Amino acid sequence: MKNNCRRVPAWTRRFIAYALLLLLAAAFLYPIPLDAVLHTLPKFQFGQLIAALISDGQGELIAILLIMALLTVIFGRYFCACLCPLGALMDLTSRIRAVFSKQAFAYKPDSRFRALVPILSLVLLWAGLNLPFGLLEPYSLFVAKSVFYSGPNLIIFLVIILAAVSGRAFCNCLCPTGFILKLLAKNSKFHLTFKDSCLKCGACSRICRASCLDGKNKNLDKGRCVLCLDCLAVCPRDSLAWGEAASAAQLPNRRPFLKQAALSLLAAGSYLTPEALRAKTLAQPPLAPILPPGALSLAHLNAHCSLCHSCVRVCPNEALVPSGAESPALWDRPVLDPYQGFCQYDCTLCTEICPTGALVALSKEEKHQARVGLVFFEREECVVVRNRTSCGACAELCPTGAVRMAQGLSGDEEPVISENYCIGCGACQQACPVRPTSAIRVNGIFIQQTAARPVIVETEDLTLTDDFPF
Amino acid sequence: MNRRTFIKTLAGGALALSLEAGLGSLPSSALRAQGFPDLVATRGTNLTAMFDKSLEALGGLGQFVKSGQTVLVKPNMGWAIDPAGGANTNPVLVSHIIKNVLNLGAKKVYVFDNTCDNWNDAYQVSGLEKAATEAGATVAPANSTGYFQKVDLPGETTLKSTQYHELYLEADVVINVPVLKHHGGARMTAALKNMMGAIYDRRPLHRNGLDETIPELMLYKKPNLNVVEAVRVMISGGPRGHGDSRYLSSQMMIVSPDPVAADMASAKLLEAAGIKIPEYIEQGAKIGLGVADLEKLNIQRLTAA
Repeated sequence: MKNNCRRVPAWTRRFIAYALLLLLAAAFLYPIPLDAVLHTLPKFQFGQLIAALISDGQGELIAILLIMALLTVIFGRYFCACLCPLGALMDLTSRIRAVFSKQAFAYKPDSRFRALVPILSLVLLWAGLNLPFGLLEPYSLFVAKSVFYSGPNLIIFLVIILAAVSGRAFCNCLCPTGFILKLLAKNSKFHLTFKDSCLKCGACSRICRASCLDGKNKNLDKGRCVLCLDCLAVCPRDSLAWGEAASAAQLPNRRPFLKQAALSLLAAGSYLTPEALRAKTLAQPPLAPILPPGALSLAHLNAHCSLCHSCVRVCPNEALVPSGAESPALWDRPVLDPYQGFCQYDCTLCTEICPTGALVALSKEEKHQARVGLVFFEREECVVVRNRTSCGACAELCPTGAVRMAQGLSGDEEPVISENYCIGCGACQQACPVRPTSAIRVNGIFIQQTAARPVIVETEDLTLTDDFPF
Repeated sequence: MNRRTFIKTLAGGALALSLEAGLGSLPSSALRAQGFPDLVATRGTNLTAMFDKSLEALGGLGQFVKSGQTVLVKPNMGWAIDPAGGANTNPVLVSHIIKNVLNLGAKKVYVFDNTCDNWNDAYQVSGLEKAATEAGATVAPANSTGYFQKVDLPGETTLKSTQYHELYLEADVVINVPVLKHHGGARMTAALKNMMGAIYDRRPLHRNGLDETIPELMLYKKPNLNVVEAVRVMISGGPRGHGDSRYLSSQMMIVSPDPVAADMASAKLLEAAGIKIPEYIEQGAKIGLGVADLEKLNIQRLTAA
């Protein structure tokens, strides 16, 4: 009976982590019924919030970050234990591995080299190069590279191999989020403690995926502990507990306190971004890709986007895609490709779920006038003009009336453009039957604008003069 | 007339006749043989009353649907626009038809449309998914190629082939329930044009000219009954509708097994509002889908209370 009791914390932790992992994965696969999940879970991704902080993001996100950081200082790395989707995936991998191999983990002392990669990625993020951060930050990595959506991806494959071989090594050696949480949790008020009954058997060290428990010496590296609580379940004498530090000796002393103060200053300093340095790295692309709605400008998107591709995954029309080689300055950030799909007039999903505020949430009314590009009509290529046949596919789809069929240069009906109303949704480009290049296309704009409000005229309905005109 | 043109005309006529005989379970000529009209136009504002009155004049819905059959009710639900916009068929009418079909003992009723707006949004915002499901129909998606099958069109056509939704092919009976409205590309959309929601890739039609190609979609399989909803008709800014779209309060429902006749009667309504009659209607008559000359038809004009 007692045996089962001490499994409860580990089981609870695991249940929460797996449930959230499942919910998040399912929400990206079925965004319509699970939109509530998409609107909440990504907002509590610590790494995304760090990206928001570094890019001088919205105050609301920074407030969440500060609260989550404070909770880490008190309780340790609860984020890594329960909220991190990649962490849950790695735990799952470790458990599957345990079925095939009984090889144990072992305590390893901390090393300064472990800080190298995370610090580098954070410095580059600060300087405006988001790619390394995007490849290492667990939420970005999970959503953008996950096997669930985009087919097997080498990076996620490597992460899983790493998890199978050495547990949570990723979290303490490569993960930028893990690195910052490690600094915050180093002197957490609540943590694992050894009771006097401990016989130093080392069973806990053999199960510790973060290699942070030194059971032989009754020693714990609090910073690296990801709170999986599995050690509580394996201790044969029930000698481990999680709780408030008991003795005065374990209270933070001056040195770690100073370290934490320095870290806080560093975080605050990131608000003072060197604009000149960022301007260099956030260059304008040679072509004109269409940025997603709410991106505000190329500079805003480049600065805030963490490459997580959440917007790409949720776009119901599959219109958002990661930018490719044709716009290198965008570095894998989302762009609208009207040949894939058009931006649905009433849809604001991508702007709502963006976890870093790179896409600013738009109301339906704002979205109706949010211009992301401008229509360009290559009249000579239009089938109506060339063949004198009826088509009108572009005007049919245009939600704002920017493209209408009216008397044109030819004297006959042809697409006629009123640029004022164009929001650049790309519906016309998608509908146009001319291929490989549509006769009507959207050119992206680097600073997004507000289009003219579509004309609303309430007119009396006409009535029939004859009861039956036939 | 020389011999060659005479033989050509003869052959063309024979082809048209054979097509007429081969298409649809109950051509209008069969109705006429029983003494029923070819087309019924009913004025009113109450959609269910107008439908009941129209079908009564045609000898009842039982003329078209038999017990145990699989029925496709094909509305226009291409747009994420609420019923007041007049861009989609009214859910009240679609729901009423589905209930009547099920009352006749139909095995299964399907509803789908290959939408223009995002399909999920269009199904929901149009109110049709909810109305059709509640009435007892199965609302099927039509948003990916997997649901469609390629079919070669019979005879000499511009399109040669197209991809029909599998439920359109599977259904024993197809009831075409378009909403009449202005269309920027095709001038008008009603019975013939509504078939563009039963196929997958519409680009070949736009590329080759809508007037030429729209009627060809009914060559392989023709709906058994066309019910054109024309109570409040969008007469500008169609097919989607804009803030400055105008409407014609024509208060009409046009019901006929002949899609060409139904479209011609619909076009006459729009003509009263200054919209030219689209060429694809005459084209439909030319390839043998029905009769465009309304003078030649027995039309019953009714008013529903």
